Amino acid sequence: MKLIINHLTKSFEEKIVLNDINFTFKQGKIYGLLGRNGSGKTTFFNCLDQDIPFDEGTFNLIKDNETNTLQLTDIGYVLSTPNVPEFLTAREFLKFFLDINEDKLKEKKTIDEYFDFIHIAEEDRDKLLKDYSYGMKNKMQMLVNIIANPNVLLLDEPLTSLDVVVAEEMKEMLKSIKKDHIIIFSTHIMELALSLCDEIVILNNGKLEEIDRKNLTDQAMKDKIIKALTEEK
Amino acid sequence: MFSCFLKSFKLKTTYRVNTFIYSVKQLPIIKSLLKNTLYSNKPLKVLGLIFSIILELIDTFLGKFLYVFLIIFSLASIYEGESSNSVFIHIFIFLTIAGSFMNTYMFNPTKDKYYAMFSLRMDAKLYTLTNYYYTILKVIVGFLPFTIIFGLMSHVPLIICLIIPFFVAATKIIVASYLLKQYEKKDQITDENHPLKGMWILTGILLALAFALPYFHLTIPLIPSLIFMIITIIFSLTRLSYLNNFNKYKEIYKIILTEGNMNLASYKTNNTNIQKKQIEKQINIKDNVTSNKHGYAYFNDLFVKRHSKILLSSAKKVTVFALIAIIVCIIIIKALPPLALEINNWLLVMLPYFVFIMYLINRGQVVSQAMFMNCDHSMLTYGFYREPKVILNLFRERLKSVIIINLLPATIIGLGLTLILFVSGGTDNILEYPLLFISIIAMSIFFSVHHLVMYYLLQPYNVNSEMKSSTYQVVNFLTYLACYWMIELQIPIFSFGLMTIIFSILYCLISLILIYKLAPKTFKLRV
Repeated sequence: MKLIINHLTKSFEEKIVLNDINFTFKQGKIYGLLGRNGSGKTTFFNCLDQDIPFDEGTFNLIKDNETNTLQLTDIGYVLSTPNVPEFLTAREFLKFFLDINEDKLKEKKTIDEYFDFIHIAEEDRDKLLKDYSYGMKNKMQMLVNIIANPNVLLLDEPLTSLDVVVAEEMKEMLKSIKKDHIIIFSTHIMELALSLCDEIVILNNGKLEEIDRKNLTDQAMKDKIIKALTEEK
Repeated sequence: MFSCFLKSFKLKTTYRVNTFIYSVKQLPIIKSLLKNTLYSNKPLKVLGLIFSIILELIDTFLGKFLYVFLIIFSLASIYEGESSNSVFIHIFIFLTIAGSFMNTYMFNPTKDKYYAMFSLRMDAKLYTLTNYYYTILKVIVGFLPFTIIFGLMSHVPLIICLIIPFFVAATKIIVASYLLKQYEKKDQITDENHPLKGMWILTGILLALAFALPYFHLTIPLIPSLIFMIITIIFSLTRLSYLNNFNKYKEIYKIILTEGNMNLASYKTNNTNIQKKQIEKQINIKDNVTSNKHGYAYFNDLFVKRHSKILLSSAKKVTVFALIAIIVCIIIIKALPPLALEINNWLLVMLPYFVFIMYLINRGQVVSQAMFMNCDHSMLTYGFYREPKVILNLFRERLKSVIIINLLPATIIGLGLTLILFVSGGTDNILEYPLLFISIIAMSIFFSVHHLVMYYLLQPYNVNSEMKSSTYQVVNFLTYLACYWMIELQIPIFSFGLMTIIFSILYCLISLILIYKLAPKTFKLRV
């Protein structure tokens, strides 16, 4: 499976944020998307998620030798701030989600099996989501996106502000599901990108560029990334 | 001190101008013509300064004029048999005391204070005092012309007319110093937009004393009033040193300005928590209810049940109120036959008036807001929730709920009006009975559909719950205007009822078609 981005261009008034981007993301890999503040990482995700109109460009998904335009259902988008319906309990939220997607889900599990998978303790499963901690809300957001089984998973700094245990759990979980998905993971933390991601892609001056990490130590890789990110047009 | 005042005034002006440009930039069509460079446009800034000064003048004089004219002068002249001057002073004194608690300026949480003291780290004490004294000056200057004009018209001696504005300022100073002292003693402070229960009770008592006593021919005579005002003014002067020496303004504003009482739209980090607190305050989330339904109905059912306070209680209150009003009306008709004819004549042509009433009591807009703040705000970040099938199925469930919620009071009003029409003398055209009832129901359904459809077609908020579309506000305002305009109309039940029913049916059909065609594209978070 491949996600092919062709000629993606997005500008806000005179400022070109994404400049004729051409890139191919492949299944089975976690892509670490690095960029400076304001470089357009979130805009890039918003374009893919069809949240904002863009000036030019196409997104195609090649799966089982068939090429189709990327659909909303192909994408799961996990935001940095977890958003969950606070008036529901975690169980009710999952029930609603499973109810309305019952015809789509292939490998169905029970609600409790899903909770076990994401490490949500039994005593928390019937609590209102408004009483969940930041990390637990984040887990719920991630869980729903994973159950939906989208082909492409966009993660916008999802591990920021999580405690070390939850962050580690999430990293392991992402590694466990990557073989069936294309995962694009945006972060500011270079160590995290280097330890979790298979490929490093930087967004600078409106262009996406893959940084080849072959035969490079972590330090050498960091230097290379910093150099690439500070390059002017 | 003056330079601090100038800086804060410039800041307020910049904030006003930028807010104005931002609002204009949100309008459809116009927004594509205006560029972000407008924010640095010098002539526009000068224009903004002039605009800001005009606003200051309006703020200084217009409010005071309306207050003195409408609330004091006009109401004072209603009391017959009383000397108008003593009623004027009497009402003024009690309202001033109530107002000094409810309108302190100092404890009003406003954005300009937040920007100045926290974002720009201006000296909190200096900023507060300069702006406070400026406001006190505005109170004196703003009141003076109107206390003179309306005071003299009420035969109040000139000396008292001249003293009243200083008395208003004095009570404000005394109350502010009292509240500061309370903070020093008890570590407690509340912003004036969320007064404590005791404050409401006190205001209620003062209002009752202001307006009820003159009714029983009890007013404070002129001389004691004058003495009271002079003593108040002298006492306030002694409190000035307390205000000047108080050193905990920053502490106080830390409490007031972060208590979830400001919509700090541009401060995203604070905003999420503030919004969250507001939502939790407004919406009663009960955790002991559940639902046996499935899928969309399950989701919507839980939403309605867990938000019964904001969704159902108000509809129930309106229903009870309508029921009482109808019973009272029927009793009046039976007790006073001459009034019956008048009511009958009025009812036969005043159906348009009820468009405005039905607009006012419809919960559609509040329901949509609650839906966004406590549900869609988070759910729209999920791709599956934005699929056309999900949007339309949930829309259907929601529409049913909103219509049912609003039908409760509408049915009572519809039946009540029909009954009043009947007992007050009836109508020659028997068709007018069902038409009256059905048109009230049609209005209720129309507003329910209208609010929900507008919400789905123009969803105006972004993920931080900031309003990003002025189109939605414009549409709401136009709806209000159109309904308000209906008050003026006098059209017989038969023709207006028929028009209302046909219009409502057509509107609902068209908007439902639009929803099916457009909502999957429009119902998403603004970016």
